[in-house]
Amino acid sequence: MIQVRHLTKLYGDFAAVKDISFEIEDGTICGFLGPNGAGKSTTLNILTGYTAPTEGEVLIDGRDILKEAEEARRSTGFLPEIPPVYPDLTVYEYLSFAAQLKGIKKREREEEVRFRMEQLNLTEVKDRLIRNLSKGFRQRVGFAGALLGDPGVLILDEPMAGLDPKQILETRELIRSLKNDHTVILSSHILSEVSEICDRVLIISEGEIVAADTPEHLESASGAGTVLCITASGSLDRVLSAVRTVTEVREDNVTESESGVQVRVRLRDGEDLRLRLSEALFAAGCPILEMKQEKADLENIFLMLTDETGSGNSLQEDGAGSGSSQEETGGGSGQEETGAQKAAAADRGEERP
Amino acid sequence: MTAIYKKELRSMFTNMSGAIAIAVMLLVTGLMFRFYNLHNGVLTLHYTVSNSALVFYIVIPVLSMRSFAEERRQKTDQLLLTAPVGLLRIVLGKYLAIVTVFAIPVLVMCTYPLIMLSFGPETLLWDYTCLLAFFFMGCAYLSVGMFISSCTESPVIAAILTILFVFATQMLSSIFTMISGTALTAMLFLTALSVLISLLVYMMTGHYALSMIVLAGLGAACIAGYVLRPDLFSGRTESVLRILDFSTHFSDFAGGVFAIPNLMFFLSYAAVGVLLTIQSLDKRRWS
Repeated sequence: MIQVRHLTKLYGDFAAVKDISFEIEDGTICGFLGPNGAGKSTTLNILTGYTAPTEGEVLIDGRDILKEAEEARRSTGFLPEIPPVYPDLTVYEYLSFAAQLKGIKKREREEEVRFRMEQLNLTEVKDRLIRNLSKGFRQRVGFAGALLGDPGVLILDEPMAGLDPKQILETRELIRSLKNDHTVILSSHILSEVSEICDRVLIISEGEIVAADTPEHLESASGAGTVLCITASGSLDRVLSAVRTVTEVREDNVTESESGVQVRVRLRDGEDLRLRLSEALFAAGCPILEMKQEKADLENIFLMLTDETGSGNSLQEDGAGSGSSQEETGGGSGQEETGAQKAAAADRGEERP
Repeated sequence: MTAIYKKELRSMFTNMSGAIAIAVMLLVTGLMFRFYNLHNGVLTLHYTVSNSALVFYIVIPVLSMRSFAEERRQKTDQLLLTAPVGLLRIVLGKYLAIVTVFAIPVLVMCTYPLIMLSFGPETLLWDYTCLLAFFFMGCAYLSVGMFISSCTESPVIAAILTILFVFATQMLSSIFTMISGTALTAMLFLTALSVLISLLVYMMTGHYALSMIVLAGLGAACIAGYVLRPDLFSGRTESVLRILDFSTHFSDFAGGVFAIPNLMFFLSYAAVGVLLTIQSLDKRRWS
């Protein structure tokens, strides 16, 4: 169990992390998402006691990471962003050293190191100097080091970075297999990784948590829902009035381009307006050139929450004018943010004992 | 602690720094021994050891520069500082490993007096006092070098600063004659020192008001003392700078005077270096 209360970290005047609080229950895999520079690594470094927070506290299984450092660290395994491996040691030497640091008794040490090397497919390289290993292998050596002594809490900073697709699959399986008796927090800026294995997702942006929920909830509760994207020929006014006979649509969701007028209609759950819209548009003399449904996935939510001005926004498609599109996402993100923050608050409220 | 000690010892030989340090020391001291004792027939090791202090310019930075700077550069400090091991044990483990490597050539040097036994009156006690002084001075330097290494991310910068420190502490005794001993100089020197101390306080605590209070207090004490009792100040510059004067303490010690204050001088440098290293590591956590 990881409890984080009112964590703030200042570097000079710059707040890398601003008053964040969350809790992660035992047996949970929690994804920690955010763009580069959002404060992910800072937060994880604080969780492990490598950096001290300016304010706030971190409890690992009820023990303060700074005041009861040794006990708290004993139940924590940490894989930093850059694996902390010594290039002038062999894999086996490194892991035995790390095992000694963790206070694993001599009798069990060899067995434990051997087991972890097998678990991460390192046995074949065990006598090679880490200096000569590829990034993926180093990453796995670091991971094996974090798993030594089977700590109850695992803090993994971008565990999949630098791995090839096969290794990513293996690592993902490994993390999933750890789930039952471990609490895992893993950071990433790649969403597909997180949405597949995590039970909960924390999204952090500019040092603040902007969402905390399960991936499924985030997808539905964000209000993004399904978007119907229609491109029709004809003038903007005629298309807009035809669509408005069927459903509400805001002006900024309509854009005109060379390929036609594009309208984005937000659908409520289970609503299907395709037939009625095509009839209305056809009747108004605006034949439909293209119609497609987009489901807002975690990727979109992530971008909405973390990227307010979002020029690279994935909602922007089909050559829509960037100005109006930005407005659209800007307005959308406002709504989403409050929704998700409410969700986050509710989440925290429930979990607080 | 033993884990860090063993690992450190091993990596000092895989990355050559240990081997280089030992080779340089054996080469230089061997040449000195050959020149003074075997060739010119000096009956004690005093000259050999005193002149061998030159090797500190190479050996101390080579042994100490990587200790923490390299860890920080490679980000391996994240392993050490998040392991369930206290800072004292981490620092001591590393320090003892460096000292062990340094002790190897000193142990070899311990055979020199035995060789000299074959040609004349015994001065064993004096010789071993010399070697002890040499060893303790090295330990003091290594401790300071380790502290310097813990303050920076670059082993090269650590090495340069360490060499500067060795240079300053070795050369100080020769510039004492050039320092004016008047009370006014002492007052100005002490005031400048107060500014330095308050700057240090500011850097350590980040507390502007506190550093100003320290500065005002020390500065006022200096000036008031100078006005009221100028006689107290004469010669004080030298006595303050003596804190940094390794060479005089060493030559007293190596001159055959096994004086506790000289021994304590080097031991306290070693202890302060270790403590400051712990402080420096702990402070980085908070900055």
